[in-house]
Amino acid sequence: MSMRKVQAIVIGAGPAGLAACIEIAKAGGKAVLIDENAKPGGQLFKQIHKFFGSREHRAGVRGYDIGNQLLQETEDLGVEVFLDSPVYGLFRDPRGIMVSYMQDGRERALLGETVILATGAAENALTFPGSTLPGVMGAGCAQTMINVNRVLPGKKVIMVGSGNVGLIVSYQLMQAGAEVAALIEAAPSIGGYGVHAGKIRRAGVPILVGHTIKRAMGRDQVESVEIIALDEKFQEIPGTEQILSCDTVCIAIGLTPLTELAWLAGCQFTFIPSLGGHIPIHDENMATTVSGLYVAGDIAGAEEASTAMEEGRLAGIAAAEALGLYDEAAAAPLKASVWARMDALRTGPFGQKRHEAKALMLETAKGGTK
Amino acid sequence: MDELFICRCEEVTRRELEQAIEDGAITMNELKRWTRAGMGLCQGKTCAKQVMALLAQKTAQSPAAIKPATTRNPVRPMQISYMTKEAE
Amino acid sequence: MQENKAKNHRVIKHPILPAEAPCDVSIFVDGQEIPAKAGEPIAAALLTAGIRIFRQTAKKGYPRGIFCGIGRCTDCVMTVDGQPNVRTCVTPVRAGMKVETQIGLGRWAE
Ligand SMILES: Cc1cc2nc3c(=O)[nH]c(=O)nc-3n(C[C@H](O)[C@H](O)[C@H](O)COP(=O)(O)OP(=O)(O)OC[C@H]3O[C@@H](n4cnc5c(N)ncnc54)[C@H](O)[C@@H]3O)c2cc1C
Ligand code: FES
Repeated sequence: MSMRKVQAIVIGAGPAGLAACIEIAKAGGKAVLIDENAKPGGQLFKQIHKFFGSREHRAGVRGYDIGNQLLQETEDLGVEVFLDSPVYGLFRDPRGIMVSYMQDGRERALLGETVILATGAAENALTFPGSTLPGVMGAGCAQTMINVNRVLPGKKVIMVGSGNVGLIVSYQLMQAGAEVAALIEAAPSIGGYGVHAGKIRRAGVPILVGHTIKRAMGRDQVESVEIIALDEKFQEIPGTEQILSCDTVCIAIGLTPLTELAWLAGCQFTFIPSLGGHIPIHDENMATTVSGLYVAGDIAGAEEASTAMEEGRLAGIAAAEALGLYDEAAAAPLKASVWARMDALRTGPFGQKRHEAKALMLETAKGGTK
Repeated sequence: MDELFICRCEEVTRRELEQAIEDGAITMNELKRWTRAGMGLCQGKTCAKQVMALLAQKTAQSPAAIKPATTRNPVRPMQISYMTKEAE
Repeated sequence: MQENKAKNHRVIKHPILPAEAPCDVSIFVDGQEIPAKAGEPIAAALLTAGIRIFRQTAKKGYPRGIFCGIGRCTDCVMTVDGQPNVRTCVTPVRAGMKVETQIGLGRWAE
């Protein structure tokens, strides 16, 4: 069977995948971008808040505007995009890496000299009695409903988790017209940025730290929840139960990288809890332990859209170099400027932790069997 | 509804998983085969992390040491119509 | 204090996002006609109509609705035009679609 071979296949059209394609195309390479969704952009189009960081990181620009800019760029550069095309397999082949996907109801395959995995992350689930009732959902699910589909998943929400996703989505639910009855956090302090937390507090939403959800109640959908206070050891304090009425419970307790394709390809993994768990080991070029295979964005450690974009650029430049589109002298300054921007993004109380986690990753990659 | 469903697709409870671990399951593959957790439509995308955490905690292992269940092609649920179309 | 601005489940007035396009087609949910927008996910049309229970589970018969909203968890599956296990959160509406609450694993239409 003769199979079409391309220089680069990028899987996932979120900020990381789009940025990677743009860099490959800018270097004069041919990239094919594949996504299972009907629309490109990954999680970007649900992000209606303004980004942080410096001007270079497009701070002050909203996620969906960045998404539109990236889409325009990929179009201008002539990147070939396959939508509605879930990738279900990845095989090492003497001729390159074979990517199999579904399109128009048929199984298809492409060979890539290089492949960049930018499949993103999935939200972590939480189990409690009643957690399968309609009305209990991921915070990202609610965010998709209000900001992309423009429908409220419910009218009175309890948010579980005070990281940035929990805080941002709470605020966006209010902007969309829902009431956020309370935000609950098991830890003794708020997890996300103070700016976001302040906005919610000012809107009158109680933020209950040191609390967890005990159960969700309702006959065939959520009607109320029972919450309870926790001590420093995260043990429930009897007698502190409260019943809050609501029709929706949103869970925002972190993300886990979507790594199935990297496992299939035979990548080596490392376990870094602050990046979301098992992560394919990657070096300073975003190269995995499988030759020709790169990762970028949340799959390489769950962070945020701005770092995902930079990692995508880095992987794209490195892949272009591996393809011979850039020589070392041309690639080095490009990569250095991406690294400078990424280092700047990974500062502050949250960024620093990720900076350290990523540094640990690079150490692992150096020490790993190559 | 007091059950704690960890695997939402196959409706596998925390209790059933704990029982399997008490019965000697020590890997994600065993847990999956014994309880069907992670064998439903979503193929473990939603529950794997929780199953892994439970296994780590119950067997006093570090979560880092626990390997996910073997990933097999295909990693996406394929609608049966795809297969029938293919067979046409 | 916050006020609940949403008159129904559609997000109509929004401080940042542009105005909504109106519903332009109908679909049938368990035989009942509801308005929808062509191209929006089936789940969005159902939520707009106030429908949150999409199926009953196979083992326990418990109700389920949307959970991940991005096609990953398969909690939202329904029988669409006779085909069971269709993820309604990522399947676009087409005019006249027949959507049914899925009981258990569902059944294929003849
Ligand atoms: C639900 C959710 C909400 C979030 N909200 C915010 C927020 O408000 N603010 C913020 O800063 N960060 C948020 N994040 C964090 C996220 O880190 C970034 O915003 C960013 O979108 C990550 O970019 P990415 O390109 O790595 O992945 P994504 O944007 O997730 O893109 C991955 C793409 O890969 C595709 N894909 C995955 N698997 C396959 C496959 N097998 N075949 C084909 N295509 C596939 C997906 O369809 C998707 O389009 C959120 C993350 C999630 C999961
Ligand atoms: S809600 Fe998870 S697949 Fe539709």
